Amino acid sequence: MAQPAPPKASRRDFLKLAAGAATVATGPFISRHAQAKPTTITFARESSYVKNFDEHFQKVLIPAYQKSTGIKIEYQIQAAGGGAVPQLVSMVENKSGADLAWVQQEWLYRDALVDVSDIAEAVGKEQGGWYDEIKALSVDNGKWKSVPQANIGQVMVYRKDWFDEAGIKKFPDTWDEFLEAGIKLKAKGHPFGMSMGHGFADNYSWLYPLLWSYGVTVMDKTGKKVALDSSETAKAVDFVRRLYKEACIEDCVGWLDPHNNKAFLTSQISCTNNAYSIMVSAKRDLPEMGKVIDHALNPKGPTGQRYHSLVPVTHGVFAYGPDPQAAKDFLRWIMDPKQYRPWISSGDMYFAPYLHAFDKFPDWDIEPRVKPFQKVLETGKLTSWPAPANRAHGAVVNRWVVIDMFSKACTGAPTKSVIAEAVGQLKQIYGVA
Amino acid sequence: MSRIFEASGAPTLEVGAHGPVGLGRLRAFVEREQVYSWLMLTPPVLFLLAFLGYPFFYGVYLSFFHREVAGAASFVGLRNFVTLANDPIFWQSVGNTVKFTAAATVLKAVGGLCMALVMNQNFRMKAFSRAMLLLPFIVPTVLSTVAWQWILDPGMGLFNRLLVVSGLANPGPSWLGSPTLAMISIIMVNTWRGLPFFGISILAGLQTIPIELHESATIDGAGTWGRFRYVTLPSLLPVLFIVTTFSIIITFFDFQLVYVLTGGGPANSTHLMATYAYSISMGAGQMGLGSAVALSMVPVLGLLLVLLTIYVRKD
Repeated sequence: MAQPAPPKASRRDFLKLAAGAATVATGPFISRHAQAKPTTITFARESSYVKNFDEHFQKVLIPAYQKSTGIKIEYQIQAAGGGAVPQLVSMVENKSGADLAWVQQEWLYRDALVDVSDIAEAVGKEQGGWYDEIKALSVDNGKWKSVPQANIGQVMVYRKDWFDEAGIKKFPDTWDEFLEAGIKLKAKGHPFGMSMGHGFADNYSWLYPLLWSYGVTVMDKTGKKVALDSSETAKAVDFVRRLYKEACIEDCVGWLDPHNNKAFLTSQISCTNNAYSIMVSAKRDLPEMGKVIDHALNPKGPTGQRYHSLVPVTHGVFAYGPDPQAAKDFLRWIMDPKQYRPWISSGDMYFAPYLHAFDKFPDWDIEPRVKPFQKVLETGKLTSWPAPANRAHGAVVNRWVVIDMFSKACTGAPTKSVIAEAVGQLKQIYGVA
Repeated sequence: MSRIFEASGAPTLEVGAHGPVGLGRLRAFVEREQVYSWLMLTPPVLFLLAFLGYPFFYGVYLSFFHREVAGAASFVGLRNFVTLANDPIFWQSVGNTVKFTAAATVLKAVGGLCMALVMNQNFRMKAFSRAMLLLPFIVPTVLSTVAWQWILDPGMGLFNRLLVVSGLANPGPSWLGSPTLAMISIIMVNTWRGLPFFGISILAGLQTIPIELHESATIDGAGTWGRFRYVTLPSLLPVLFIVTTFSIIITFFDFQLVYVLTGGGPANSTHLMATYAYSISMGAGQMGLGSAVALSMVPVLGLLLVLLTIYVRKD
């Protein structure tokens, strides 16, 4: 059978010339992909509470990346609500699923992540440098294993109208004042609802800062000595028991993370510790309530210090993926200010970047009631603080050791025994005497 | 086996000219009871081995290792079990599981029997009622449990609204906030969900009792209670035994309901062995220790299976 004539040499030359010209024009980043075979990258992220944020990513960033590189991004949205970690764990165990992800609880599988120091350092350099505390999570043995995207701030969310009615014009500055305010509001039928159940953020987001503000940490700096066994812990436990009995709704001791949102939005409680999501829902569905919600920083403890718990969003690239470099290139691209700043803006500052360039980001001034979420970064600590954020620390959080110390006290157990049980568990988990 | 084929009157396979002897031999070989039964058994056995046997034996293997997610495994012998023996939360979850299973099973058995006795009567809309009673069993557990979260809500929930409106309590109790009530709540929800399984199975059993037995008992002077005690109940015992055994196994391993409703809280008061194993394995990433918790449930399951097997064989 006759073969078609081969294309003329001049046409090939023209194509080569055109490709070369495109390479020079679009710079070194895109050039690598202009020559590479187009691929698909799967990016797994827990769904955001802010619709615009996900939509911006899907409708603006993904098409833009595909247009410039030819690489298709499969956006795999994981259900919010604590289910993402088991999915990530199972992905890592099976070496499949996604090329890069919001690597929640990355200490569980750091060995499966590639070194992204080049990206993190470049991003830090061009955007004012990183907040120090987040390095304790993302940097492992001197190498960045993830690139921090942002913090989901957790602060006090309260009904300003009810506080005003009770004569509390300014949100309490100390935990003692907080208790006093709670007693007044509970007497008026508006108790506090501070989560203490087996949830995944709203419980530790106030109990850990409270403990720290009493001058106590769970472990010492080395992570080899239990620091919880102290008289200050007993004071903190006694305080929480009193707060629960005198100022809170009874149910909150068993609450999972959706429960305080539900109780707040149905006007059952006047204050809780939560992310920005309650205000987002209220503004959307209950505009009247949306007007009277406000946020405040966690109160100070007996040490005079104020703390917050960080809830980090970090992105990591899996080493076992078919093309980790392509996933890294995409990660670098989304962290470029040209993409990153509009993406953060689209989330109405629900996500607060750990980069100092955002300290004076104009979007922080659009809604003054969101401002406390920026301040969280100044006093925010990881749940491991001051010890390393490692597997053992993760086990302590996920087995609710500290949370249950408080909730057991609230449900009737003596202070000494709840601390002793928690210390026993810590020793078993950390393998220390 | 071949007799069955012959008796069925099914058309026999036309054998071509190219090997009637070979095909005939093959058919004879396949139709031997020992061969045919294994041919039929092989697919389900392979299925069970792949989807139940492999995870089970992998779990047994993991329980003897210190193995964390994405980490290397190191053999630790029985150390995981020793750790559990000294873990008060493990023992609390064992106690919770036993309490939960015992209470829910008794409630389901008694409730299911009552439900079946009522459904066995003749009344209008009987078929519709029977279909409606199956609903808890049909609705996905996670979905119905989310609905229960709302029902048990302290302020807006149906239970407490009813209690407040009827003047029985104001405010209503904290169903999921008090350790005792939280346990009662999960037992209640499990009973609600499992009742149709008992009800329908016992109803099937009831319908196999010959009417003559009841008639002769009536002639002998037995009243309603007498007929139930000496005719209905003894005839139902085989069904009750099997349904209860299955229910114990299913209840013992219940996970979804507790995971969605309380997460094992407050203060571990509703932590069952299944939720504890999950929190250790998937939450804390300690696969070896978590497998040891899960494996600790196996002796109970084993004992029940032995009992069931003995009973079925005796029958």
